[in-house]
Amino acid sequence: MLYIKCPYCGLRAQKEFSYGGDATVKRPNINEEVSSEDWDNFVYMRKSPRGKHIELWQHIAGCRQWIKVQRDTATHEIFQTAKVTEEIR
Amino acid sequence: MSQPFRLNKEGLINRNKKISFTFNGKKLFGYEGDTIASALIANGIHLVGRSFKYHRPRGFFGAGVEEPNAKLQVEFNGHSEPNVNATEMELIEGLSATSQNCWPSVNFDVGAINNFLKMFFPAGFYYKTFMWPKSFWYKIYEPFIRKAAGLGVASIEKDKERYEHKFEYCDLLVTGSGPSGLASAYAAAKNGAKVILAEDKPRFGGTLLTDDVSIDNLSGKDWAEKIITELKSMPNVTVKNRSQVFGYYDHNMLVMFERVSDHLEKKSKFTPRQRLWYIRAKETILSTGSIERPIVFGNNDTPGIFLSAAAKEYMKVYGVLVGKKPLIFTNNDSAYETALEFKKNNVEPIILDTREEHSSELIDEAKSKGIDIRFSHGVIVANGYKKVKSAKIGKLNKDKNSFEKIETVDCDCICVSGFWTPSVHLASQSGNKLKYEEKIDAFIPDKKKQHETSVGSANGSFTLEESLKNGFENGSNLSAKITDTKTEIAIPNVNEKKYGAHDKFWCMPLPKNENPKRFVDFQNDVSVSDIEIALREGYRSIEHVKRYTTLGMATDQGRTSNLNGLQLVSNIENKIVPEVGHTTFRPPFTPITIGTIVGREVGMEYMPTRKTPMHEWHEKNNAVFVDAGAWKRPRYYKQGNETLFEASKREAKNVRENVGICDVTTLGKIDIKGPDAAEFLNRVYTNAWMKLPVGKARYGLMLREDGIVMDDGTTTRISENHYHMTTTTAQAANVLSHLEYYLQIVWPELNVNAVSTTEQWAGAAIAGPKSRDMLSKLYPDLDVSNDALPFMGYKEAEFFGVPSRIFRISFSGELAYEINVKSDHGMFMWEKMMEVGKEFGNQPYGTEALSTLRIEMGHVAGPELDGRTIPSDVSLNGLVSKKKDFIGKNSLGREAFNVESRQKIVGLIPIDRKSSIPEGSHIVQDQNAKLPNPKLGHVSSSCWSVENNNPFSLAIMKDGKNMIGKKFFAVSPLKNKSIEVEVISSHYVDPEGKRVRS
Amino acid sequence: MQKYSVFSLIKNAFSNHQNWEVAWKDPTPKSEYDVVIIGGGGHGLATAYYLAKEHNIRNVAIIEKGWIGGGNVGRNTTIIRSNFMYDANARFNEFGMDLWRNLSQELNFNVMFSPRGIINLAHSDAQMNAYARRGNSMRLNGIDAKLLDRDEVKKLIPMADFSDEVRFPIFGGLMQPSAGTARHDAVAWGYARQADDMGVDIIQHCEVTGFDVVNGKIKGIRTSRGDIKAKKVGLCVAGSTNILAEKLNMTLPIETHVLQACVSEPVKPLLDGVVTFGAGHFYISQSDKGEMVMGGDLDGYNSYAQRGNLPTIQHVLTGGLALFPFLSRLKMLRTWGGIMDMSMDGSPIIDKTHIEGLYLNCGWCYGGFKSTPVSGWTFAHTIAQDQVHELNSELRLNRFSTGHLLDEKGLGTKTWIG
Repeated sequence: MLYIKCPYCGLRAQKEFSYGGDATVKRPNINEEVSSEDWDNFVYMRKSPRGKHIELWQHIAGCRQWIKVQRDTATHEIFQTAKVTEEIR
Repeated sequence: MSQPFRLNKEGLINRNKKISFTFNGKKLFGYEGDTIASALIANGIHLVGRSFKYHRPRGFFGAGVEEPNAKLQVEFNGHSEPNVNATEMELIEGLSATSQNCWPSVNFDVGAINNFLKMFFPAGFYYKTFMWPKSFWYKIYEPFIRKAAGLGVASIEKDKERYEHKFEYCDLLVTGSGPSGLASAYAAAKNGAKVILAEDKPRFGGTLLTDDVSIDNLSGKDWAEKIITELKSMPNVTVKNRSQVFGYYDHNMLVMFERVSDHLEKKSKFTPRQRLWYIRAKETILSTGSIERPIVFGNNDTPGIFLSAAAKEYMKVYGVLVGKKPLIFTNNDSAYETALEFKKNNVEPIILDTREEHSSELIDEAKSKGIDIRFSHGVIVANGYKKVKSAKIGKLNKDKNSFEKIETVDCDCICVSGFWTPSVHLASQSGNKLKYEEKIDAFIPDKKKQHETSVGSANGSFTLEESLKNGFENGSNLSAKITDTKTEIAIPNVNEKKYGAHDKFWCMPLPKNENPKRFVDFQNDVSVSDIEIALREGYRSIEHVKRYTTLGMATDQGRTSNLNGLQLVSNIENKIVPEVGHTTFRPPFTPITIGTIVGREVGMEYMPTRKTPMHEWHEKNNAVFVDAGAWKRPRYYKQGNETLFEASKREAKNVRENVGICDVTTLGKIDIKGPDAAEFLNRVYTNAWMKLPVGKARYGLMLREDGIVMDDGTTTRISENHYHMTTTTAQAANVLSHLEYYLQIVWPELNVNAVSTTEQWAGAAIAGPKSRDMLSKLYPDLDVSNDALPFMGYKEAEFFGVPSRIFRISFSGELAYEINVKSDHGMFMWEKMMEVGKEFGNQPYGTEALSTLRIEMGHVAGPELDGRTIPSDVSLNGLVSKKKDFIGKNSLGREAFNVESRQKIVGLIPIDRKSSIPEGSHIVQDQNAKLPNPKLGHVSSSCWSVENNNPFSLAIMKDGKNMIGKKFFAVSPLKNKSIEVEVISSHYVDPEGKRVRS
Repeated sequence: MQKYSVFSLIKNAFSNHQNWEVAWKDPTPKSEYDVVIIGGGGHGLATAYYLAKEHNIRNVAIIEKGWIGGGNVGRNTTIIRSNFMYDANARFNEFGMDLWRNLSQELNFNVMFSPRGIINLAHSDAQMNAYARRGNSMRLNGIDAKLLDRDEVKKLIPMADFSDEVRFPIFGGLMQPSAGTARHDAVAWGYARQADDMGVDIIQHCEVTGFDVVNGKIKGIRTSRGDIKAKKVGLCVAGSTNILAEKLNMTLPIETHVLQACVSEPVKPLLDGVVTFGAGHFYISQSDKGEMVMGGDLDGYNSYAQRGNLPTIQHVLTGGLALFPFLSRLKMLRTWGGIMDMSMDGSPIIDKTHIEGLYLNCGWCYGGFKSTPVSGWTFAHTIAQDQVHELNSELRLNRFSTGHLLDEKGLGTKTWIG
């Protein structure tokens, strides 16, 4: 079981979280024109890298905040977690 | 009643307590502290099972987890369990063990015919045959193979035992209580660290219990006892025996399996049988020890052949002799200790040592005791079918590939030692890559991957001195980093025998013209020749060898066979072992009961049962419940002998004619607050929300970003910046996460909060032409006229003294209201409604009637919103705003969503007005067309229309909008039904929606 | 090539099994091939076999990073079925069922295809209705399906929980009697042996490091064992698809997730076919060795680790006990994981790409094994003819922009929900 550091609640067991996928996918702005290619990329296309992956988790059994987690998809090592408003580099 | 192989005083068993048990029906006894294996050996019983493929007689080989052969069907505590490891299971009164995989008996097993035909059953034989004629595979060959499958018999009785889970956090987890484990735990405990020490066996001490050593002038056993006693007295230490750490998972999560009560004769009602511990450790000491590996020779699977350390353990721990005429066959010094132990018990062993004559402390001692040692010798083949009777032994030439002399010696057991293999399973599971250590011919842990530190023989250190030093140092250093305390501990003085170098020898050659089976993997009957065939046929990767021959894939997971298999492959392939590599170590270390893994979530506890505040009333009034996710909802209220169909028709009809009430508490409810709430709803829903006045509700439709309908429901503007959203029961949790996602990540600039209030409100719908009359009685002081409380209106008012919310919304298509009160008042509200409603003919109605009502109105629900439909498919495109943007809007422009013949919801009625159309039927033009018959759509929901008194269905149909008036067949081949139907509008009742507004 | 039969077995027994030939050779890569298939898994090996057999294209190499059959074909739960709702998936896999039925004879290698049926259990009327929709669709496509009521289910699996102490009682189920299982390794080995015999080079321990693309046209690949020129290249790497796609600057509607499975110790046969639980993530079958083979759910986050975590196993087995309480006393012997190419609508992709001569076979989610023969068959056709076959005409990449989705479960793009 992963051990995830919620930026609000501290280190908590994975079972308190639910996964939310690639955090680097940016939704096109609301009320702005978007090409269908860009839109399809947003809805369907994923890099799904082997290695460092910035992803979303929601602390559903805790503060209910969505958070960002930078994790290695091959080893599951977590390098960094952050609030969604913060950047992970 | 005498036990011919029990020593008079040796051992740690309790001789004051006899335990009786049966084996294959025979009554026997042993002592408290025996395993099934030690008790059987004490009674002179060695033949306990048959091998999987050839049904060869098999006995005991080890004395613990390494045992490949002795798996028994064991009945105890009223339950029969297959594949119980006889060398691990402790003896309890009344236990009854039987041999597996043999018929009619272990002594005479018909399946042993396979052993005589074994030349036709080499590795992979089944891939090459059973193919002709084709039909025989299905009818004859495979059923025959399946009959032979399996070892023991699984009972299909429900397990009455209790299993528990426990979560622990510690600074240091120590896995194994041998010398290095004890030292680590002790040093860390002295530093104040929170320590868990886990020992798989019932007794602490590991090899200290069997090795002839002394520490600080105490025997190994006494020293272990002293340390354990001190550890047990410390508040920061948890010491657990019968507890095996079987898995090393991510982020330093280890999982331990504790056998709590199988060894107890009596236990209290709530004592679990077994317990699973999830342990999050900051640091982990892997002191899992090592397992002796065999030397491969002819018929090396015959009963009476043991690992030499196991033979010693049987003497030292259980006071049992594995034989009285032992041959010790070794390539190293450790087996000499076994020989000396025999000698001490007045048994004369013969040592066959593959090494050339040389000298070491142990060899010299054996010599001085007059033990017959034959250097450059080994066992070629064991003789005897059901028990070793003698052995053909040979003097090896210099190259050890042929013999200078061959003779036969009598013996009743052979104790074999091919040196030691560190148990690196946990380290490997942790992600440690492992490295090959030439010096010991085995893999040991390499660079740390997580926080695992291997010590002692698990790390390839085979002396006591080194193991202790290793343990004390690592235990102290690792814990000091955590506790910031370092207590100096003097490393004790050790007295142990020095071992000489072992011989890199692992498989006896065969003399010319002799071809006995030399087994590498006992349980799966994998022999040297099987591995040779695999390589000959090009299955050269170690994984291919494993899979083709099944090497290491039995229930012992190859603990005694993997390394010998690797050596064989590397020899034949002319590679070094690390080039061949090892197969993956996967959890669990030993098989774990599924009951333990699952714990308490069994039976009715499989999933929580959510009940509404009115649940008890429903129960008392003969409600038949239906599962809606975790919720229980009344499906119908049974009167007399009514069927589901009759009851739901009655209930639905009563709503259409009078009034009914329905428990709608399970609908998801979300409070949405904030100055930007309207803007947020406007983005979340497909329709417009900016102009909804306070005190008004609106139906809303939500899409996923891919344009598919996600959920629907009404949302009410309670006050300026406060909205009350409802969702379907099924989607409540998903919708909340969805809203939070957009609020927190996509549009954090919106000042809005969303919180679930589902559990806070009890809800009841009042529906039917008389609902207003009933409402006015419920709220005598409130103006509930159509003008004061119009369709989609909202009011707050006191309900007999408790605050309540009144929504004029309708799912049934009738004039209807929904009342919400705080959950605590739910029952009060419901009972009041039943009381007040009497004069209006009110009856409660369940989900089945609710379905009928919504279906004939053409309202969509789960079966239509199935995760594949877009708004226009379900005729809700009117709710899709063209003016504003919203979640999923950009996806609606896709080609497939806009083709002329796109599917659309329609209504269906049977031409005969009688035949109900089964849900899940498909619409076809020609019911007799040849297959594949093109499908024009499917029937999503069906009901008996109470309004028109005939069946009615909703269907989603290709080009639906142009099909009205046409006739088709609704076919359900599964139910052998074909019904001619006419396509009509999906709004079968009150298409203009007059009633809801009346 | 040696023919395998009971006679060859007897003959070889008398020569001590010394004369068996290698099942496939271990060639060094040539500098150029007509077709290079990347990925020596079931689908890659089948593709090479059908290229040689059906299209007479024999100058073919299979490039495998590890050992053949080491990916999902060697770590799945061996279920073979065609019980799909969408025509495109149903007809594709039913064609595959026909290939399965003859596969042992065609490959002269006993893949032990064993059609003992699959039952999807339902625990509510709503679920029965959803299954009826799928089952009727199957029947109209000419695929066998039976709707079972509770009593019929009880006859088939009496050891399931039919007591009152059960959270989600069994209402009934949908059965495909012709579905079954096969010996997974044998499928890979059988295809490899025949492909090798027809001239295909099976190159193991050779990792693809890059692609040679000139003017939108594939020219060859770069590997750890040197550059290899190729007129056509087929990508058939399941969970590693995104890794290679990145080297091609392609982004795909695929995410990689780990799926675990586990087996119990072997016990005497008591469960005939495959059973899936309808109120949780759990399915089970019993192998010809007697082991209960169980699986159910993804670990739930992107993963390339061929290993998983215990909570998922716990979650899956909890469903298992809810259905079959007797499993409680059985012991779990081994767990393992495989990495899955989860597509955004749950259905596979077999198609050409925007790069001329580069073909794509991916998106199998956790159902690739059953489609091994038909995937190879249609992919070989697509490569050989440079156009999709009717059978894979809807399994195209562009369906994600046109909206012609094949979402059997209606779950949308959250691939990790499974």
